[in-house]
Amino acid sequence: MTDQVVHDSLDQDPPTAPTGMAPPSVGRPNARFARLVPNTVLIVAALFFTLPLLALARFALQNVPTILLGWSTLFDKWSLEPMGRAFSDDVFWASLRLSLKLAFGTVLLTMLLLLPTAIWVHLRLPRMRPVIEFVTVLPYMIPAIALVAGIKLIKPHARWFLNSDMSLIPFYVVLALPFTYRSIDAGLRAIDLRTLVDASRSLGSGWLGTIRRVLIPNLRTAIISASFLTAAVVMGEYTIARLLLIDSLAPYQRILVGRDSQAGYGLNLLALLATTSLFVVVSVLTKKRDRKRKSFAYAAAKQASSQEHHPE
Amino acid sequence: MTTLDFISVRKTFGTNVALHSLDLDVREGELITLLGPSGCGKTTALRIAAGFEFADSGAVLVGGSDITRTPAHKRNMGMVFQSYSLFPNLTVAKNVEFGLRTRGVAAAERHHRVAEMLELVQLTQFADRYPHQISGGQAQRVALARALAVQPRVLLLDEPLSALDAKVRTTLRDEIRRIQTEVGITTLFVTHDQEEALAISDRICVMSQGLVEQLGTPTEVYRSPSTAFVARFVGSMNEFPAEVTGRGEVTVAGHRVGAPGLGETVVGSKVSMLVRPEDLSLGEGGLPGSVTAVTFQGATTLIGVRLDTLDLLVSADVGQGAADRLQVGDRVSALINGSNAVCEPA
Amino acid sequence: MTETLVVKGGRTDGASPSARRNFAWIGVVPFFAFLFLFLIVPAISVFWNAFDTDKGFSVSAMKEAISGQNRDAFWFSVRFSAGSAAVGVIFGTLLAYAAATATRPRWLRSTVTSFSGVAANMGGLPLAFMFLALLGRQGLLTKVLSAAGLDLYGGDFELGSELGLISVYSYFNIPLMVLITLPALDGLKPAWREACANLGGTSFTYWWRVGLPVLAPSLLGGFLLLFANSFSAYATAAVLTQNSMIVSQRIGFFLGGDVSIGENAVGFSLAAWMIIIMAISMGLYWIARRRAERWQS
Repeated sequence: MTDQVVHDSLDQDPPTAPTGMAPPSVGRPNARFARLVPNTVLIVAALFFTLPLLALARFALQNVPTILLGWSTLFDKWSLEPMGRAFSDDVFWASLRLSLKLAFGTVLLTMLLLLPTAIWVHLRLPRMRPVIEFVTVLPYMIPAIALVAGIKLIKPHARWFLNSDMSLIPFYVVLALPFTYRSIDAGLRAIDLRTLVDASRSLGSGWLGTIRRVLIPNLRTAIISASFLTAAVVMGEYTIARLLLIDSLAPYQRILVGRDSQAGYGLNLLALLATTSLFVVVSVLTKKRDRKRKSFAYAAAKQASSQEHHPE
Repeated sequence: MTTLDFISVRKTFGTNVALHSLDLDVREGELITLLGPSGCGKTTALRIAAGFEFADSGAVLVGGSDITRTPAHKRNMGMVFQSYSLFPNLTVAKNVEFGLRTRGVAAAERHHRVAEMLELVQLTQFADRYPHQISGGQAQRVALARALAVQPRVLLLDEPLSALDAKVRTTLRDEIRRIQTEVGITTLFVTHDQEEALAISDRICVMSQGLVEQLGTPTEVYRSPSTAFVARFVGSMNEFPAEVTGRGEVTVAGHRVGAPGLGETVVGSKVSMLVRPEDLSLGEGGLPGSVTAVTFQGATTLIGVRLDTLDLLVSADVGQGAADRLQVGDRVSALINGSNAVCEPA
Repeated sequence: MTETLVVKGGRTDGASPSARRNFAWIGVVPFFAFLFLFLIVPAISVFWNAFDTDKGFSVSAMKEAISGQNRDAFWFSVRFSAGSAAVGVIFGTLLAYAAATATRPRWLRSTVTSFSGVAANMGGLPLAFMFLALLGRQGLLTKVLSAAGLDLYGGDFELGSELGLISVYSYFNIPLMVLITLPALDGLKPAWREACANLGGTSFTYWWRVGLPVLAPSLLGGFLLLFANSFSAYATAAVLTQNSMIVSQRIGFFLGGDVSIGENAVGFSLAAWMIIIMAISMGLYWIARRRAERWQS
């Protein structure tokens, strides 16, 4: 999952008024027909996206080989046991611990690097924002597979640093950069940064205090979102880990499949569910924040002008 | 004859009745304004005329022919929207040309017409600009040119000035009126700004909650409001309690005021009296009070007066000379001219 | 908050405005330094080694990296990436349109958005195993199809083939396109649609002359992003197949010590060419996105 471009609904503004798609004359006889195509698309999409997941779950949780699978055996030998079989393997725990450490380190380093930078850019260098935004697209230009080639070249020159597994952390920070920066940037745009900082400073708080007691609490959603997304990416990162022979979780997930396919699939299923939950939490948090902000803006806009196309 | 008629048009959205039963006839070449607050039904009426909504019952006629069920793109009406209606991917000229192209007009004729329209709205030199390169006021003029290019039978304007700055609003509104009279097109104009309505309309239809409160010329609506709603909505009003003391006569804080518009009421009943600032004056023998504010408004000055016997603020229009002499705290007496007043049972 | 007490922009040193502006960029130095060290330096060393052949400093390895089998691999990879992107653009736009215009049920649009946010980042191992379980030789759907008479593996099909990759990558490409397209669709103002009808245009007229032209930068940008995404993906393909016609796999084989690719510099040249292709695609994407944003406001 690491080398996929990471996008999320963070850079979406939630919908407000009805969009400009619907044909102007609603309620006409062929309006229901007009919904036929979109509805079909939605159903087909729903199928396409759930079937693979179901197949994975079936393989993991049902101990019936596909050849023998039929209507009579459809409900045989289902059990949650394969999902947990990995837990008895020490190697699993070691790899999980390593991945958690890497994730934690990446989140920490990301926050230490990005928060001050993003705040600084917002406050002092507003004109640099397009440059920074471009810079956050940069990691896409050097994908994981190419990056790891470069890392391998540098390794002999910096043995003292790069021989530790933790050396992966800065590279993971880079990998996660596009969306962690965007996440924090979105959070900064949602609060009135300048006013908060001025208010805090005028009441006597120093920079560190301002960051600690004013900015971070207000950026909670952005920070949590960025952290969860980073964690998801790091926990699932395979490319760099495998090619640098790091024993983190993702390579183990693959090895296990080779050894004990059901347990391996079970573990992958578990990993999938865990990552999905992280994303869902992020989604919910962001929507709550945006809805609060939008409701103020929307109410203000409503008062300022009469509504355009709502029934009067 | 390009007239526009609404006949008993009714429209509901779910449980909300947007229009109860609208009857309105727009005469040829006339500019009628639908005026009212949000939710009064004016925009719904306009959209029904345009074909973006369909009436639940009733009929809409243009030039006598029934277009109630005609789809929007076949109605041949021109419409100017509140904002953001210019196609962003097309230049000004191509925007204006749009309706002509859909009608299959030949290129030479199109260019001629576009030039004519841009000339009409005085934007000829902007022909090759894109919508994001022109100002809001200019964009609305382009929208007007675009709507008129196809020589529609009726022109519909949905609060075209609401999204613009105040200064632009006044110049553009006069220009819209000028063009409308020059072209002579039957026009329906929607706004919530009563000043706008008074300035440019041949007739105003004041609406509230899906009903027509009054239909009349600006003078009629302003000077002789038929309901309290119209009185309050159009222009500014003073409002104070009074007691009926006879036929066409009330008493305000002990002073007798003639009120011909009183209608049938029981002597001794309480009413709310609505009087325009210009129907109040400062002079001898009126209700005593003191000046609380002097607000210079350019052509007129508004004096705020707190009457001794009533806990109300009263605004009076006075000529420049008298206003210059007044200061906050001065003792004055207010005279009420009730000939245009509207009285509402309290 | 009184005006006099507000400290503007944290200025405490009393320096004049121009002097202060000159030093503000210091604040971003750590960030840029970090990026340089951990992104640019590895990239530079890749290029350096691509030119560092045993014949000395030359472009011979770079040339070899796009000839013969390597050229076939690049061609294959560009083809399936473009195919993936095309499928993603078409179905992603359709799905976004369906979600954007749905009025009932009311939770539909946010569900699609949330799901897309999750699925767009799906990739790597779980995705590969999902499709192995579905369409692999022992796959669920494979079995269903064979019961219906269609032998999926009777011909050339395998998950690492062009068709297979396109199918698998659609799982994250389509949601990614949805995420890009939804805001673009929101940017289509209702007034345009109505103005078009008012001027005599039908639905077709609207989409042909206004809707699609306005959406074009977003659609193009989406295509480029999906292309880049598919081209550079490694983990999923690594699990699904051994197909050495996939450039990212080729690089992986080389880095993993599989010598059949050739000499040192050629391997790094492969990576260098990948970076070049990615840089071009993402650069064009960036331009398209700026264009799209201009019309969305």
